[in-house]
Amino acid sequence: MVDLLAIWTAVFFTLAIYSILYRDTAWYRIAESVYLGVAVGYGVSVDLLYVRNQWTTGGWSTPGVMLAGFAIAVIMGILWYFRFIKQYFYLYRWPLSIIVGTGIGLALRAVIFVQFRDMIVAQVRLNLWVPTNMLTTFNNILLFIMVPCVLLYFWFTGAKIRETAPMKVVDKIARYTMMAGFGSAFGYTILTRFSMFIGRAQFLLGITPNPPENRTAFIVLALLILGSMIVYDLFFKKKS
Amino acid sequence: MAFLEKFMDMDRRWVYLLSWIFVLAPLLYPLGLPIPINQESIGWYNYIENIPAGSTVIFAPMYGTSGIPELFPMTVATMRHLWSRPIKVIVVTFWTEGALVFNILLGQVDPTSYGKVYGTDWIHLGYIPGSETAMASFARDITGTVSADFLRGQPTTSYPIMANIRTAPDIDLIISIETGTPGYTEWLRQWQAPYAVPMIVGLIGVSVPGIAPYIQSGQVSAYLPGLTSSAEYENLIHRPGLAVAGVDAVSMSHLMVVILVVLGNIAYFASRSSKGGKK
Repeated sequence: MVDLLAIWTAVFFTLAIYSILYRDTAWYRIAESVYLGVAVGYGVSVDLLYVRNQWTTGGWSTPGVMLAGFAIAVIMGILWYFRFIKQYFYLYRWPLSIIVGTGIGLALRAVIFVQFRDMIVAQVRLNLWVPTNMLTTFNNILLFIMVPCVLLYFWFTGAKIRETAPMKVVDKIARYTMMAGFGSAFGYTILTRFSMFIGRAQFLLGITPNPPENRTAFIVLALLILGSMIVYDLFFKKKS
Repeated sequence: MAFLEKFMDMDRRWVYLLSWIFVLAPLLYPLGLPIPINQESIGWYNYIENIPAGSTVIFAPMYGTSGIPELFPMTVATMRHLWSRPIKVIVVTFWTEGALVFNILLGQVDPTSYGKVYGTDWIHLGYIPGSETAMASFARDITGTVSADFLRGQPTTSYPIMANIRTAPDIDLIISIETGTPGYTEWLRQWQAPYAVPMIVGLIGVSVPGIAPYIQSGQVSAYLPGLTSSAEYENLIHRPGLAVAGVDAVSMSHLMVVILVVLGNIAYFASRSSKGGKK
Protein backbone atom coordinates (compact mmCIF):
# COMPACT_ATOMS: atom_id res chain seq x y z
CA MET A 1 0.00 0.00 0.00
CA VAL A 2 2.80 2.37 0.92
CA ASP A 3 4.61 1.51 -2.33
CA LEU A 4 1.47 2.21 -4.34
CA LEU A 5 1.01 5.57 -2.61
CA ALA A 6 4.66 6.44 -3.36
CA ILE A 7 4.17 5.51 -7.03
CA TRP A 8 1.05 7.64 -7.46
CA THR A 9 2.69 10.55 -5.63
CA ALA A 10 5.82 10.36 -7.81
CA VAL A 11 3.78 10.12 -11.01
CA PHE A 12 1.59 13.03 -9.93
CA PHE A 13 4.55 15.31 -9.21
CA THR A 14 6.27 14.33 -12.48
CA LEU A 15 3.16 15.21 -14.49
CA ALA A 16 2.52 18.34 -12.42
CA ILE A 17 6.01 19.61 -13.30
CA TYR A 18 5.43 18.78 -16.98
CA SER A 19 2.17 20.73 -16.91
CA ILE A 20 4.34 23.86 -17.38
CA LEU A 21 4.59 22.76 -21.03
CA TYR A 22 0.92 23.67 -21.42
CA ARG A 23 1.16 26.86 -19.39
CA ASP A 24 1.93 28.08 -15.86
CA THR A 25 -0.55 26.08 -13.78
CA ALA A 26 -1.44 25.61 -10.14
CA TRP A 27 -0.26 21.98 -10.45
CA TYR A 28 3.16 23.19 -11.52
CA ARG A 29 3.34 25.75 -8.71
CA ILE A 30 2.44 23.11 -6.11
CA ALA A 31 5.00 20.62 -7.45
CA GLU A 32 7.71 23.26 -7.72
CA SER A 33 7.21 24.42 -4.11
CA VAL A 34 7.06 20.87 -2.76
CA TYR A 35 10.20 19.87 -4.67
CA LEU A 36 12.14 22.87 -3.40
CA GLY A 37 10.94 22.31 0.15
CA VAL A 38 11.81 18.62 0.13
CA ALA A 39 15.21 19.25 -1.47
CA VAL A 40 16.15 21.92 1.08
CA GLY A 41 14.84 19.80 3.96
CA TYR A 42 16.80 16.80 2.78
CA GLY A 43 19.93 18.94 2.38
CA VAL A 44 19.68 20.28 5.93
CA SER A 45 19.11 16.80 7.35
CA VAL A 46 22.19 15.26 5.67
CA ASP A 47 24.29 18.26 6.73
CA LEU A 48 23.18 17.74 10.31
CA LEU A 49 23.83 14.00 10.02
CA TYR A 50 27.42 14.77 9.01
CA VAL A 51 27.87 17.18 11.94
CA ARG A 52 26.41 14.62 14.36
CA ASN A 53 28.76 11.91 13.09
CA GLN A 54 31.77 14.16 13.36
CA TRP A 55 30.69 15.14 16.89
CA THR A 56 30.14 11.57 18.12
CA THR A 57 32.83 9.62 16.26
CA GLY A 58 35.02 12.24 14.59
CA GLY A 59 36.54 13.83 17.65
CA TRP A 60 34.96 17.25 17.23
CA SER A 61 33.75 16.97 20.84
CA THR A 62 37.28 16.34 22.15
CA PRO A 63 38.26 19.21 24.51
CA GLY A 64 41.03 21.31 23.06
CA VAL A 65 41.72 22.51 19.55
CA MET A 66 38.97 20.39 17.97
CA LEU A 67 36.25 21.66 20.28
CA ALA A 68 37.44 25.26 19.93
CA GLY A 69 37.42 24.91 16.13
CA PHE A 70 33.92 23.45 16.24
CA ALA A 71 32.71 26.30 18.47
CA ILE A 72 34.12 28.89 16.04
CA ALA A 73 32.44 27.08 13.13
CA VAL A 74 29.09 27.10 14.97
CA ILE A 75 29.41 30.83 15.73
CA MET A 76 30.26 31.52 12.09
CA GLY A 77 27.24 29.47 11.08
CA ILE A 78 24.96 31.51 13.32
CA LEU A 79 26.39 34.74 11.90
CA TRP A 80 25.02 33.75 8.48
CA TYR A 81 21.51 34.41 9.77
CA PHE A 82 22.26 38.07 10.51
CA ARG A 83 21.62 38.58 6.83
CA PHE A 84 17.95 38.81 7.78
CA ILE A 85 18.45 41.55 10.43
CA LYS A 86 19.12 44.92 8.86
CA GLN A 87 20.73 46.38 11.99
CA TYR A 88 23.37 43.64 12.23
CA PHE A 89 23.71 42.86 8.54
CA TYR A 90 27.44 43.63 8.67
CA LEU A 91 28.04 40.56 10.87
CA TYR A 92 26.91 38.35 8.00
CA ARG A 93 29.88 39.56 5.97
CA TRP A 94 32.34 37.76 8.27
CA PRO A 95 31.35 34.18 7.48
CA LEU A 96 30.76 35.19 3.85
CA SER A 97 34.28 36.57 3.51
CA ILE A 98 35.78 33.49 5.18
CA ILE A 99 33.89 31.10 2.89
CA VAL A 100 34.69 33.07 -0.27
CA GLY A 101 38.32 33.61 0.75
CA THR A 102 38.88 29.95 1.60
CA GLY A 103 37.21 28.79 -1.60
CA ILE A 104 39.16 31.14 -3.86
CA GLY A 105 42.42 30.39 -2.08
CA LEU A 106 41.97 26.63 -2.44
CA ALA A 107 40.95 26.87 -6.07
CA LEU A 108 43.67 29.32 -7.12
CA ARG A 109 46.32 27.08 -5.61
CA ALA A 110 45.74 24.58 -8.41
CA VAL A 111 43.99 26.56 -11.17
CA ILE A 112 47.29 27.80 -12.53
CA PHE A 113 48.47 24.21 -13.01
CA VAL A 114 45.26 22.41 -13.96
CA GLN A 115 43.58 24.95 -16.19
CA PHE A 116 46.54 26.94 -17.51
CA ARG A 117 49.96 25.26 -17.48
CA ASP A 118 48.79 21.75 -18.37
CA MET A 119 46.63 23.08 -21.21
CA ILE A 120 49.59 24.94 -22.72
CA VAL A 121 51.82 21.88 -22.35
CA ALA A 122 49.18 19.70 -24.06
CA GLN A 123 48.92 22.18 -26.94
CA VAL A 124 52.70 22.33 -27.37
CA ARG A 125 53.01 18.53 -27.28
CA LEU A 126 50.39 17.96 -30.00
CA ASN A 127 51.57 15.19 -32.28
CA LEU A 128 50.92 16.44 -35.80
CA TRP A 129 51.68 13.14 -37.47
CA VAL A 130 50.13 9.91 -36.18
CA PRO A 131 50.72 7.40 -39.00
CA THR A 132 48.50 4.72 -37.41
CA ASN A 133 45.48 7.00 -37.10
CA MET A 134 44.86 9.57 -39.80
CA LEU A 135 41.76 10.89 -38.05
CA THR A 136 43.82 11.81 -34.97
CA THR A 137 46.42 13.41 -37.24
CA PHE A 138 43.72 15.53 -38.88
CA ASN A 139 42.20 16.39 -35.49
CA ASN A 140 45.58 17.43 -34.07
CA ILE A 141 46.38 19.62 -37.08
CA LEU A 142 43.02 21.35 -36.67
CA LEU A 143 43.70 21.90 -32.96
CA PHE A 144 47.16 23.25 -33.78
CA ILE A 145 45.60 25.90 -36.04
CA MET A 146 42.30 26.61 -34.28
CA VAL A 147 43.39 27.13 -30.67
CA PRO A 148 45.84 30.00 -31.39
CA CYS A 149 43.32 31.57 -33.78
CA VAL A 150 40.59 31.69 -31.11
CA LEU A 151 43.06 33.08 -28.56
CA LEU A 152 44.09 35.79 -31.03
CA TYR A 153 40.43 36.58 -31.73
CA PHE A 154 40.10 37.78 -28.14
CA TRP A 155 43.20 39.90 -28.33
CA PHE A 156 41.66 43.34 -28.42
CA THR A 157 44.64 45.71 -28.50
CA GLY A 158 46.37 47.00 -31.62
CA ALA A 159 43.57 48.23 -33.87
CA LYS A 160 45.90 48.58 -36.87
CA ILE A 161 47.17 45.02 -36.60
CA ARG A 162 43.61 43.69 -36.38
CA GLU A 163 42.83 45.30 -39.74
CA THR A 164 45.65 43.50 -41.58
CA ALA A 165 44.90 40.68 -44.05
CA PRO A 166 46.46 37.83 -42.00
CA MET A 167 44.46 38.84 -38.92
CA LYS A 168 41.24 38.81 -40.93
CA VAL A 169 41.99 35.20 -41.90
CA VAL A 170 42.69 34.40 -38.25
CA ASP A 171 39.40 36.01 -37.22
CA LYS A 172 37.50 33.98 -39.79
CA ILE A 173 39.04 30.68 -38.66
CA ALA A 174 38.31 31.64 -35.03
CA ARG A 175 34.67 32.39 -35.82
CA TYR A 176 34.23 29.05 -37.62
CA THR A 177 35.93 27.28 -34.71
CA MET A 178 33.65 28.89 -32.17
CA MET A 179 30.55 28.20 -34.27
CA ALA A 180 31.58 24.53 -34.44
CA GLY A 181 32.04 24.56 -30.67
CA PHE A 182 28.65 26.17 -30.06
CA GLY A 183 27.03 23.71 -32.47
CA SER A 184 28.55 20.81 -30.60
CA ALA A 185 27.40 22.27 -27.28
CA PHE A 186 23.86 22.73 -28.68
CA GLY A 187 23.76 19.15 -29.96
CA TYR A 188 24.88 17.74 -26.63
CA THR A 189 22.38 19.97 -24.81
CA ILE A 190 19.59 18.45 -26.92
CA LEU A 191 20.94 15.00 -26.03
CA THR A 192 20.89 15.79 -22.32
CA ARG A 193 17.43 17.38 -22.27
CA PHE A 194 15.89 14.51 -24.21
CA SER A 195 17.77 11.93 -22.12
CA MET A 196 16.22 13.44 -19.00
CA PHE A 197 12.79 13.37 -20.60
CA ILE A 198 13.31 9.78 -21.78
CA GLY A 199 14.28 8.76 -18.23
CA ARG A 200 11.06 10.20 -16.84
CA ALA A 201 9.06 8.69 -19.72
CA GLN A 202 10.51 5.26 -18.86
CA PHE A 203 9.41 5.84 -15.27
CA LEU A 204 5.91 6.90 -16.32
CA LEU A 205 5.53 3.89 -18.62
CA GLY A 206 6.79 1.50 -15.93
CA ILE A 207 9.62 0.13 -18.04
CA THR A 208 11.77 -2.32 -16.01
CA PRO A 209 13.20 -1.81 -13.37
CA ASN A 210 10.46 0.78 -12.75
CA PRO A 211 7.27 -0.69 -11.24
CA PRO A 212 4.66 -1.61 -13.91
CA GLU A 213 1.93 0.03 -11.79
CA ASN A 214 3.36 3.39 -12.91
CA ARG A 215 1.61 3.12 -16.26
CA THR A 216 -1.91 3.01 -14.78
CA ALA A 217 -1.12 5.95 -12.52
CA PHE A 218 0.31 7.82 -15.52
CA ILE A 219 -2.79 7.36 -17.67
CA VAL A 220 -5.25 8.25 -14.90
CA LEU A 221 -3.35 11.25 -13.56
CA ALA A 222 -2.42 12.58 -17.02
CA LEU A 223 -6.11 12.62 -17.98
CA LEU A 224 -7.08 14.29 -14.70
CA ILE A 225 -4.40 16.99 -14.87
CA LEU A 226 -4.92 17.69 -18.57
CA GLY A 227 -8.69 17.67 -18.10
CA SER A 228 -8.51 20.09 -15.18
CA MET A 229 -6.39 22.53 -17.22
CA ILE A 230 -8.72 22.40 -20.22
CA VAL A 231 -11.85 22.80 -18.06
CA TYR A 232 -10.26 25.77 -16.29
CA ASP A 233 -9.39 27.40 -19.62
CA LEU A 234 -12.89 26.83 -21.03
CA PHE A 235 -15.07 27.83 -18.10
CA PHE A 236 -13.12 29.87 -15.56
CA LYS A 237 -10.30 31.70 -17.28
CA LYS A 238 -12.60 33.78 -19.51
CA LYS A 239 -14.75 34.83 -16.55
CA SER A 240 -11.75 35.98 -14.55
CA MET B 1 3.90 29.87 -48.68
CA ALA B 2 1.15 30.56 -46.20
CA PHE B 3 1.88 27.21 -44.59
CA LEU B 4 5.56 28.09 -44.20
CA GLU B 5 4.69 31.43 -42.60
CA LYS B 6 2.33 29.65 -40.23
CA PHE B 7 5.11 27.18 -39.49
CA MET B 8 7.38 30.08 -38.50
CA ASP B 9 4.81 31.24 -35.94
CA MET B 10 3.88 27.76 -34.70
CA ASP B 11 2.87 27.56 -31.04
CA ARG B 12 5.75 25.95 -29.17
CA ARG B 13 3.30 23.59 -27.48
CA TRP B 14 2.99 21.66 -30.75
CA VAL B 15 6.73 20.96 -30.50
CA TYR B 16 6.24 19.69 -26.94
CA LEU B 17 3.41 17.43 -28.12
CA LEU B 18 5.59 16.10 -30.94
CA SER B 19 8.36 15.45 -28.39
CA TRP B 20 6.00 13.35 -26.28
CA ILE B 21 4.96 11.35 -29.34
CA PHE B 22 8.51 10.85 -30.64
CA VAL B 23 9.72 9.72 -27.19
CA LEU B 24 6.78 7.62 -25.98
CA ALA B 25 6.14 5.76 -29.25
CA PRO B 26 9.58 4.05 -29.51
CA LEU B 27 9.48 3.27 -25.78
CA LEU B 28 6.12 1.51 -26.20
CA TYR B 29 7.03 -0.10 -29.53
CA PRO B 30 10.85 -0.54 -29.63
CA LEU B 31 12.38 -0.29 -33.10
CA GLY B 32 15.51 -2.26 -32.24
CA LEU B 33 17.85 0.16 -34.00
CA PRO B 34 21.51 -0.98 -33.96
CA ILE B 35 23.79 0.47 -31.26
CA PRO B 36 27.29 0.93 -32.69
CA ILE B 37 30.04 0.88 -30.02
CA ASN B 38 32.07 4.10 -29.99
CA GLN B 39 35.58 4.90 -28.85
CA GLU B 40 34.48 6.55 -25.57
CA SER B 41 32.62 3.56 -24.18
CA ILE B 42 35.37 1.16 -25.29
CA GLY B 43 37.93 3.38 -23.54
CA TRP B 44 35.81 3.45 -20.36
CA TYR B 45 35.29 -0.33 -20.43
CA ASN B 46 38.98 -1.05 -21.03
CA TYR B 47 40.08 1.32 -18.28
CA ILE B 48 37.93 -0.41 -15.65
CA GLU B 49 38.76 -3.85 -17.03
CA ASN B 50 42.50 -3.12 -16.68
CA ILE B 51 42.48 -1.76 -13.12
CA PRO B 52 45.03 -3.95 -11.30
CA ALA B 53 43.56 -6.45 -8.83
CA GLY B 54 43.58 -5.21 -5.24
CA SER B 55 43.37 -1.54 -6.23
CA THR B 56 41.26 0.88 -4.20
CA VAL B 57 38.92 3.04 -6.22
CA ILE B 58 36.81 6.04 -5.21
CA PHE B 59 33.39 5.94 -6.83
CA ALA B 60 31.62 9.29 -6.62
CA PRO B 61 27.99 9.74 -7.72
CA MET B 62 28.20 13.53 -8.01
CA TYR B 63 24.61 14.27 -8.95
CA GLY B 64 21.14 14.55 -7.53
CA THR B 65 17.76 13.18 -8.47
CA SER B 66 17.54 15.51 -11.48
CA GLY B 67 20.56 13.77 -13.04
CA ILE B 68 19.15 10.26 -12.57
CA PRO B 69 17.48 9.93 -16.01
CA GLU B 70 20.74 10.40 -17.90
CA LEU B 71 23.39 9.22 -15.44
CA PHE B 72 21.82 6.44 -13.43
CA PRO B 73 22.17 3.77 -16.17
CA MET B 74 25.94 4.36 -16.41
CA THR B 75 26.17 4.44 -12.59
CA VAL B 76 24.53 1.02 -12.35
CA ALA B 77 26.60 -0.44 -15.21
CA THR B 78 29.87 0.89 -13.78
CA MET B 79 29.13 -0.47 -10.30
CA ARG B 80 28.22 -3.87 -11.79
CA HIS B 81 31.52 -3.85 -13.65
CA LEU B 82 33.51 -2.77 -10.57
CA TRP B 83 31.86 -5.35 -8.31
CA SER B 84 32.59 -8.07 -10.87
CA ARG B 85 36.32 -7.40 -10.45
CA PRO B 86 38.72 -7.89 -7.49
CA ILE B 87 38.74 -4.16 -6.67
CA LYS B 88 37.95 -2.29 -3.46
CA VAL B 89 35.41 0.49 -3.87
CA ILE B 90 34.92 3.52 -1.62
CA VAL B 91 31.67 5.32 -2.40
CA VAL B 92 31.62 9.00 -1.48
CA THR B 93 29.83 12.09 -2.76
CA PHE B 94 30.07 15.84 -2.43
CA TRP B 95 26.53 16.33 -3.79
CA THR B 96 23.68 16.56 -1.27
CA GLU B 97 21.53 13.92 -2.98
CA GLY B 98 24.44 11.74 -4.16
CA ALA B 99 24.15 9.33 -1.24
CA LEU B 100 20.42 9.02 -1.91
CA VAL B 101 21.14 8.15 -5.55
CA PHE B 102 23.50 5.38 -4.47
CA ASN B 103 20.89 4.01 -2.08
CA ILE B 104 18.49 3.72 -5.04
CA LEU B 105 21.21 1.75 -6.83
CA LEU B 106 21.52 -0.60 -3.83
CA GLY B 107 17.80 -1.29 -4.20
CA GLN B 108 18.45 -2.63 -7.71
CA VAL B 109 21.89 -4.23 -7.47
CA ASP B 110 22.90 -6.54 -4.63
CA PRO B 111 26.68 -6.46 -4.00
CA THR B 112 26.52 -9.82 -2.21
CA SER B 113 25.47 -11.43 -5.52
CA TYR B 114 28.99 -10.51 -6.69
CA GLY B 115 30.48 -11.96 -3.51
CA LYS B 116 31.30 -8.52 -2.13
CA VAL B 117 31.29 -7.93 1.62
CA TYR B 118 30.39 -4.52 3.04
CA GLY B 119 33.31 -2.98 4.91
CA THR B 120 35.83 -5.35 3.35
CA ASP B 121 35.31 -4.98 -0.40
CA TRP B 122 33.31 -1.79 -0.51
CA ILE B 123 32.05 0.97 1.77
CA HIS B 124 29.52 3.81 1.48
CA LEU B 125 30.85 6.96 3.14
CA GLY B 126 27.89 9.10 2.07
CA TYR B 127 27.78 12.84 1.56
CA ILE B 128 30.44 15.28 2.75
CA PRO B 129 29.29 18.92 2.91
CA GLY B 130 31.66 21.70 1.86
CA SER B 131 32.16 21.22 -1.87
CA GLU B 132 35.75 21.87 -3.03
CA THR B 133 36.95 22.68 0.49
CA ALA B 134 35.70 19.30 1.65
CA MET B 135 37.36 17.58 -1.32
CA ALA B 136 40.69 19.14 -0.33
CA SER B 137 40.20 18.07 3.28
CA PHE B 138 39.20 14.55 2.18
CA ALA B 139 42.42 14.27 0.17
CA ARG B 140 44.58 15.22 3.17
CA ASP B 141 42.79 13.08 5.77
CA ILE B 142 40.20 10.61 4.50
CA THR B 143 39.08 8.96 7.75
CA GLY B 144 39.32 12.27 9.62
CA THR B 145 37.01 14.01 7.16
CA VAL B 146 34.46 11.16 7.25
CA SER B 147 34.44 9.64 10.71
CA ALA B 148 31.42 7.35 10.20
CA ASP B 149 30.07 5.42 7.22
CA PHE B 150 26.68 6.27 5.73
CA LEU B 151 24.91 2.91 5.89
CA ARG B 152 25.65 1.84 9.47
CA GLY B 153 27.02 4.94 11.19
CA GLN B 154 30.03 3.03 12.51
CA PRO B 155 33.53 4.57 12.73
CA THR B 156 35.20 4.35 9.30
CA THR B 157 38.45 3.21 10.90
CA SER B 158 36.68 0.09 12.20
CA TYR B 159 36.26 -1.33 8.67
CA PRO B 160 39.02 -3.51 7.15
CA ILE B 161 38.78 -1.70 3.78
CA MET B 162 39.93 1.55 5.43
CA ALA B 163 42.90 -0.02 7.24
CA ASN B 164 45.53 1.34 4.86
CA ILE B 165 43.59 4.30 3.53
CA ARG B 166 44.68 7.61 5.03
CA THR B 167 45.35 10.17 2.29
CA ALA B 168 44.84 10.70 -1.46
CA PRO B 169 47.98 8.79 -2.57
CA ASP B 170 46.43 5.62 -1.09
CA ILE B 171 43.72 5.80 -3.76
CA ASP B 172 44.43 4.32 -7.21
CA LEU B 173 41.60 5.83 -9.24
CA ILE B 174 38.68 8.27 -9.02
CA ILE B 175 35.50 7.48 -10.93
CA SER B 176 33.22 10.50 -10.90
CA ILE B 177 29.73 10.39 -12.41
CA GLU B 178 28.53 13.96 -12.47
CA THR B 179 26.28 16.75 -13.68
CA GLY B 180 28.20 19.89 -12.71
CA THR B 181 29.92 21.71 -9.85
CA PRO B 182 31.57 20.31 -7.80
CA GLY B 183 32.81 17.90 -10.43
CA TYR B 184 35.82 17.04 -12.52
CA THR B 185 37.50 20.48 -12.32
CA GLU B 186 37.43 20.31 -8.50
CA TRP B 187 38.70 16.70 -8.55
CA LEU B 188 41.48 17.81 -10.89
CA ARG B 189 42.42 20.78 -8.69
CA GLN B 190 42.34 19.00 -5.33
CA TRP B 191 43.21 15.38 -6.23
CA GLN B 192 44.67 14.86 -9.68
CA ALA B 193 47.09 17.80 -9.82
CA PRO B 194 48.51 17.70 -6.26
CA TYR B 195 48.51 13.91 -5.73
CA ALA B 196 48.60 12.53 -9.30
CA VAL B 197 45.53 10.33 -8.72
CA PRO B 198 44.17 9.31 -12.15
CA MET B 199 40.50 9.90 -12.84
CA ILE B 200 37.78 8.92 -15.28
CA VAL B 201 34.52 10.83 -15.62
CA GLY B 202 30.98 9.90 -16.62
CA LEU B 203 28.95 12.97 -17.43
CA ILE B 204 25.84 14.45 -18.99
CA GLY B 205 25.97 15.46 -22.63
CA VAL B 206 25.92 19.21 -21.88
CA SER B 207 29.30 18.92 -20.13
CA VAL B 208 31.11 17.12 -22.96
CA PRO B 209 32.47 20.21 -24.80
CA GLY B 210 33.82 21.44 -21.44
CA ILE B 211 35.74 18.27 -20.62
CA ALA B 212 37.21 17.81 -24.12
CA PRO B 213 40.38 19.87 -23.42
CA TYR B 214 41.10 17.77 -20.32
CA ILE B 215 40.82 14.58 -22.37
CA GLN B 216 43.15 16.07 -24.97
CA SER B 217 45.68 17.00 -22.27
CA GLY B 218 45.48 13.58 -20.63
CA GLN B 219 44.37 14.98 -17.26
CA VAL B 220 41.18 12.91 -17.51
CA SER B 221 42.00 9.36 -18.60
CA ALA B 222 38.60 8.30 -19.98
CA TYR B 223 35.05 9.59 -20.16
CA LEU B 224 31.55 8.30 -20.75
CA PRO B 225 29.25 10.95 -22.23
CA GLY B 226 25.49 10.72 -21.90
CA LEU B 227 22.78 8.12 -22.35
CA THR B 228 23.88 6.70 -25.72
CA SER B 229 27.38 5.90 -24.43
CA SER B 230 25.75 4.31 -21.37
CA ALA B 231 23.81 2.03 -23.72
CA GLU B 232 27.02 1.05 -25.50
CA TYR B 233 28.68 0.34 -22.16
CA GLU B 234 25.69 -1.74 -20.99
CA ASN B 235 26.13 -3.85 -24.12
CA LEU B 236 29.88 -4.18 -23.52
CA ILE B 237 29.30 -5.64 -20.04
CA HIS B 238 26.40 -7.76 -21.40
CA ARG B 239 23.89 -6.21 -18.98
CA PRO B 240 21.40 -4.24 -21.13
CA GLY B 241 19.34 -1.90 -18.99
CA LEU B 242 17.46 1.39 -19.13
CA ALA B 243 20.01 3.04 -21.45
CA VAL B 244 19.65 0.34 -24.12
CA ALA B 245 15.87 0.56 -23.74
CA GLY B 246 16.03 4.32 -24.28
CA VAL B 247 18.31 4.49 -27.34
CA ASP B 248 15.46 4.20 -29.85
CA ALA B 249 13.77 7.16 -28.17
CA VAL B 250 17.05 9.14 -28.31
CA SER B 251 17.36 8.46 -32.05
CA MET B 252 13.74 9.35 -32.78
CA SER B 253 13.79 12.53 -30.69
CA HIS B 254 16.98 13.68 -32.42
CA LEU B 255 15.42 12.91 -35.78
CA MET B 256 12.50 15.11 -34.79
CA VAL B 257 14.84 17.97 -33.82
CA VAL B 258 16.74 17.67 -37.12
CA ILE B 259 13.49 17.70 -39.13
CA LEU B 260 12.25 20.77 -37.23
CA VAL B 261 15.56 22.61 -37.70
CA VAL B 262 15.56 21.86 -41.45
CA LEU B 263 11.90 22.87 -41.84
CA GLY B 264 12.50 26.00 -39.78
CA ASN B 265 15.38 27.03 -42.02
CA ILE B 266 13.41 26.33 -45.21
CA ALA B 267 10.49 28.38 -43.86
CA TYR B 268 12.82 31.22 -42.86
CA PHE B 269 14.57 31.47 -46.21
CA ALA B 270 11.33 30.98 -48.17
CA SER B 271 9.53 33.73 -46.26
CA ARG B 272 12.57 36.01 -46.65
CA SER B 273 12.72 35.53 -50.40
CA SER B 274 8.93 36.03 -50.71
CA LYS B 275 9.35 39.43 -49.04
CA GLY B 276 12.19 40.43 -51.34
CA GLY B 277 14.90 39.49 -48.90
CA LYS B 278 14.01 42.32 -46.54
CA LYS B 279 13.10 40.28 -43.51
